[in-house]
Amino acid sequence: MGLIARIIEAEGITTVVYSLSKELTQAVGVPRAIYVKWPLGHPLGEPGRAVQQRTMLFLGFQLAQTATEPGTFLEPGFRWKRETYQEPPWEQLSGVGSRRLLTSTGL
Amino acid sequence: MTQQKKSLLVRFFNRIYSSPQLLKLWGSLQARRMSAAGRTGNPIPFTPLQKPLSSCRVALVTTGGLHLPEQPPFNMENPHGDASYRAIPGDVDLKHLVITHKYYDSRDAERDKNILFPLDHLRDLQKRGVIGSLADRHFSFMGHIVEEQTRLLLKRTAPEVAHALRADQVDLVLMTPA
Repeated sequence: MGLIARIIEAEGITTVVYSLSKELTQAVGVPRAIYVKWPLGHPLGEPGRAVQQRTMLFLGFQLAQTATEPGTFLEPGFRWKRETYQEPPWEQLSGVGSRRLLTSTGL
Repeated sequence: MTQQKKSLLVRFFNRIYSSPQLLKLWGSLQARRMSAAGRTGNPIPFTPLQKPLSSCRVALVTTGGLHLPEQPPFNMENPHGDASYRAIPGDVDLKHLVITHKYYDSRDAERDKNILFPLDHLRDLQKRGVIGSLADRHFSFMGHIVEEQTRLLLKRTAPEVAHALRADQVDLVLMTPA
């Protein structure tokens, strides 16, 4: 995963890696990563929990916009199955909201 | 796992490896192996985002073993894994994708593919103007590869995917592991 991210980034494309193994991701060294201590197979969270999944996407976009150096590692510290999530403030992402008014639609 | 049934033993190990403590141990061992293979410590490439998110084209790359039912499944028999990839069309219905991956418990991802491959969310975010557009194709690997398959990944398959993403004018790739 991390090796692929490095090759894509070297091609001139921004990457964000979702990591479930801090040790491995940091050993490989990736441009940007979000680490959560969740079980394998669940990089964006639990099935059916759309707001949780979108929260992880929001953090990924935010990281893509704000990271200024390689190896930037974000640890939101979300506990597995013991967090409540709210719809992320999408309008806070830079460049978003200028084209049209954002409304909360959900999936 | 719609194409090949996992054995009880494989299911047992999948269950064990879903524990974060064991995952930590496994990660440390893999990290040591990477370091021994001289694959760590090199400078990390870095490409800052070039434009506002609302103008960016976004693609997904996963190592979760997703593919279309008509594509060949990943090879679960080679102990070194399978470095090949499958291109996933951007207009795919997530319900149609299948998962071939021996090394994790994929039952939750089969129930809701968005936990691994959040295409429905990205479509919604594109409609809402959060992201500019979605790529016409996304890419799926199996991950969990070692030795000769790692060399194949580094020399051939990962660069092929990187070139394809570039050709598709992708600005941002979200990468999800299994």
